Amino acid sequence: MAETVLVLGSGPIRIGQGIEFDYSCVHCVWTLREMGYKAILVNNNPETVSTDFDTSNGLYFEPVTLEDVMDVIAHEKPVGVVCQFGGQTAINLAEGLALRGQKVLGTSPEAIAAAEDREQFDALLEKLGVKRPQGRAVRSLAEAREVVAEVGYPVLVRPSFVLGGRAMEIVFSESQLEGFYNEAEAANPGQPVLVDKYLLGKEAEVDLISDGTNVLVPGIMEHIERAGVHSGDSMAIYPPVSLSQSEVDQMVKIGIGVARELGARGLVNIQFVIVDGEAYVLEVNPRGSRTVPFLSKVTGIPMVDVATRCMMGQSLESLGYSTGLWSLGTDGRAYSGEKGTKWAPIFQGGVLDSAPSGPSSVYAVKAPVFSFQKLRKVEPSLGPEMKSTGEILGVDSTYEAALYKAFVAAGVNFKGDGAVCLTVRDQDKDQAVDIGRRLLAAGRRVVATPGTAAYLSERGVECEVVQKIQAGSPNLLELIQSGGVSMMLNTASLTETSESEAARIRRGCIETGVPCVTSIDTASALVRALEIYDDPSQSTCKRLDEYFTLA
Amino acid sequence: MKVLVIGSGPIVIGQAAEFDYAGTQACKSLREEGHSVVLLNSNPATIMTDPGVADALYIEPMTLDFCTRIIERERPDALLPTLGGQTGLNLATQLEDAGVLEKYNVKVLGTPLSAIKQAEDRESFRSLMREIKEPVPESWIVGTDAELEAILDVVPYPCIIRPAYTLGGTGGGIANTREELMETGRKGLKLSMRSQIMVERSLLGWKEVEYEVMRDSNGTVITVCNMENFDPMGVHTGDSIVVAPSQTLSDLEYHMLRTASLKIISALGIEGGCNVQLAVNPHSFDYYIIEVNPRVSRSSALASKATGYPIARVAAKIAVGKTLDEIDNQVTGTTKAAFEPALDYCVVKLPRFPFDKFATGDRTLFTQMKATGEVMAIDRTFEAAMMKAIRGLEVKQKDLRHEKYQAQDDETLEASVKQPTDDRMWAIIEAIRRGWSLDRVNKICKVDKWFLRKLQKLVEVEQRLVKASESGEDLATLISEAFLIGFSSPSIRSLLDGDGEFASRAAAEIERQKVQPVFKMVDTCAGEFESNTPYYYGTFEVEDDALSKI
Repeated sequence: MAETVLVLGSGPIRIGQGIEFDYSCVHCVWTLREMGYKAILVNNNPETVSTDFDTSNGLYFEPVTLEDVMDVIAHEKPVGVVCQFGGQTAINLAEGLALRGQKVLGTSPEAIAAAEDREQFDALLEKLGVKRPQGRAVRSLAEAREVVAEVGYPVLVRPSFVLGGRAMEIVFSESQLEGFYNEAEAANPGQPVLVDKYLLGKEAEVDLISDGTNVLVPGIMEHIERAGVHSGDSMAIYPPVSLSQSEVDQMVKIGIGVARELGARGLVNIQFVIVDGEAYVLEVNPRGSRTVPFLSKVTGIPMVDVATRCMMGQSLESLGYSTGLWSLGTDGRAYSGEKGTKWAPIFQGGVLDSAPSGPSSVYAVKAPVFSFQKLRKVEPSLGPEMKSTGEILGVDSTYEAALYKAFVAAGVNFKGDGAVCLTVRDQDKDQAVDIGRRLLAAGRRVVATPGTAAYLSERGVECEVVQKIQAGSPNLLELIQSGGVSMMLNTASLTETSESEAARIRRGCIETGVPCVTSIDTASALVRALEIYDDPSQSTCKRLDEYFTLA
Repeated sequence: MKVLVIGSGPIVIGQAAEFDYAGTQACKSLREEGHSVVLLNSNPATIMTDPGVADALYIEPMTLDFCTRIIERERPDALLPTLGGQTGLNLATQLEDAGVLEKYNVKVLGTPLSAIKQAEDRESFRSLMREIKEPVPESWIVGTDAELEAILDVVPYPCIIRPAYTLGGTGGGIANTREELMETGRKGLKLSMRSQIMVERSLLGWKEVEYEVMRDSNGTVITVCNMENFDPMGVHTGDSIVVAPSQTLSDLEYHMLRTASLKIISALGIEGGCNVQLAVNPHSFDYYIIEVNPRVSRSSALASKATGYPIARVAAKIAVGKTLDEIDNQVTGTTKAAFEPALDYCVVKLPRFPFDKFATGDRTLFTQMKATGEVMAIDRTFEAAMMKAIRGLEVKQKDLRHEKYQAQDDETLEASVKQPTDDRMWAIIEAIRRGWSLDRVNKICKVDKWFLRKLQKLVEVEQRLVKASESGEDLATLISEAFLIGFSSPSIRSLLDGDGEFASRAAAEIERQKVQPVFKMVDTCAGEFESNTPYYYGTFEVEDDALSKI
């Protein structure tokens, strides 16, 4: 009789743990069935494909808690349990299952702890000579202050073992530290709080598949928003558009090194920040991440399938893959080792060679989608805590058109024929000048609040001034409410509170359906797509497989 | 036939994973019938957009422009618009209004768009209801600010505002005063795709019940299941605690509402699935029809999982001309889709809210949905299913305890019991824990006393556990009772508060009394027919379906 394997689902859809994890669980079950196992699944979410009656060989509609899962195990006696695809819900059970004598398939509970426990993780990176933002795990406010004394403000304060950046904050001054420290502590009581130097730079992430020896890097995703915006709320581009070969090389090398050192079997997600051409590791998640479906679809590598096979003991080599970065060629085809004759080998012996040079013939942009219209009194500006509920994908043969599609699909459309409003914090004003210039060049009307307007005018970008709310009437809020604004580009000052004027403006936009962009990098990307907004026929409309293969 | 299927796009509040589930099932179902599927969905994080689910996959923006371009390229014979939630329906409506469907000769499958419009447009829906003599609450359709002003003195307060054509009731709300009506009404007008809102008599406090019904082109109609909201009228059903089947209706009421639902689906001429929401007066046989969703929905996904009846799969087959008596019930393998499912267990659904992320968010609930997801639990009793649902919800509360409400004084607690919020149930539990009579709690929150009595039973066991170290009650009996009613080991352990000796005795007894559940099958027919579907739930009984099938 076939051996039974138990797959743990991801529970209810919530911010930080969405449908992506259900996608991965379903694929894992399918692959296990294909391999001849009896694949059974525990999950309690009625909205999903994983709990459809014909997805698994046995669906146990039960809560994903240790005791309920152990009851199913006692009943089914599986040879092992898969905790890697059900998000933090499933991975959090790995240790308890191991303690109760169960075999956790794939990456071991020790390796999971090594990636999630701060001290072990630091030691691991040190051993590999990999850089990370300075900081450490602390258990008291006094200790947090010590870290700040060593690394200086700003620092990132967050709880450990929590998904989706809950209670994560960037702290700029002593006055904010205590409040945010307490919040992080309360978010996961009994666990340490992480305090790290906050580095502003380009962000990127990789998902990789390891069989314990070889490590395949299906692709690198570059984030449009710089560090400080939660990766789940960032727009991500594949292939990267502004990363240098050296930056890519570093990330691939680090990824391979970390996965090997952990002895990972299955999927690993690593997030990076790049400062002055150097890659720093922000975090390592020893499990399937929310970018797995996106990356699977744009690289053509069935990532969960390959990872599941690795977990069950097959080697990457036997599956036709080798160590290194799988790279998108100029012809829109993904390239790697020995996957049939159509694929050109680009890596030898695990050392990164170069991908086919020249611009890519296809770009894919993932954009977050928010539900702010449904939630009163919620601050819509982006930060380290995740706020999006969903995502969409824009694909096209030029970067600009892919951006356009991503924005439009995410509902970011110029509303009516009003003006574009710019109101940005000081450190974003230089970037706002370029944005204003492009808007004017495209024939859009630009209005700005006095500070922003003055800065822009001095640099030759003529825009109309609109008063802030406290200056009386007419003001920006009234302009928004009367339909005079078609798009809001507003970045929050780093110290403001939610009661502030800017927050009222942003809520005003949400309530009247005016798109509100809250990161200057998103705004820059938006104006890059202006030409396509004005002439959508410059974008194409094709089947997904047509974008990624030669005609 | 080449069929264009429109998905639901990104996950937003009001449109979650249920449409990936329904859409995937429907694509499979259409291809089983030999049709080829062209799919549009902008959401890459779905199974639906996997290679192999559709014959031609478009991950493109879900706009009129791109959808028209797809139709130009693919020249589909037909369009199935009822699988992509409100997003899919809105896009289909736009395509028709723009003349695209006519120009490229694309036929709409299943429920005709005119029937969808009739169900969704308040005025035409109301006149249809009047025609078939089904009661609808008095209401006023408003299209402009001036019209809104004109009714301020006419409507009975409190009243409910519902914008036409929006997701999850966006822009809706309850108004207690003229001022509130003016404010919420204007917002609703702006957010409605049709600039139309309905202001309606409030039925706050009435029971809210839903029926999932199906109809084929022969006019055969069936009820898949009915569901009852724990929270009375006034809370969006997506934000309500829901039980299936209904628990507090008399047989007469059950059949009265079933008949009404079947009458409505027949009058609308729906070919496929439909959700009917009704309000029932707890003190009489009065009822009103609240809303009809002529498509697969979150409720139909829940009903599918609660009964084992694959609504989306069957709806897709009906759309391409099959009839209920011809479609196999895949779950049993021996019956047809025309058999109404029977349930021999209780299902509880709890919504999952995002307020762990949005600490400043407004946690009060009304007609605008706020939950991002949900969990469902199945067991033989409401009590056990509720306990399972709570511990699987991935919130801080793992059982009946909630620090916030336990710390409130009586006056504050009364307000918490009255105002629906994401975690009001724990406030109700605390009121029961404090010994408030069920009549009093019912008067404050309007939750049916049947539910309150069940919660009271749980609270009684909880309190006996808490007091066990002092009361000297026999631990073996108590712990075994706690397991059987639905408490988990970790909860029992933490409730049995006591010193070292007691704690170790308690721990040993928990170990000894721990009951291994048997697993029962969800077979759509309550054991009436042989069934081979490996879909199980655990419960503390004797006979094990999962073992006996191996």
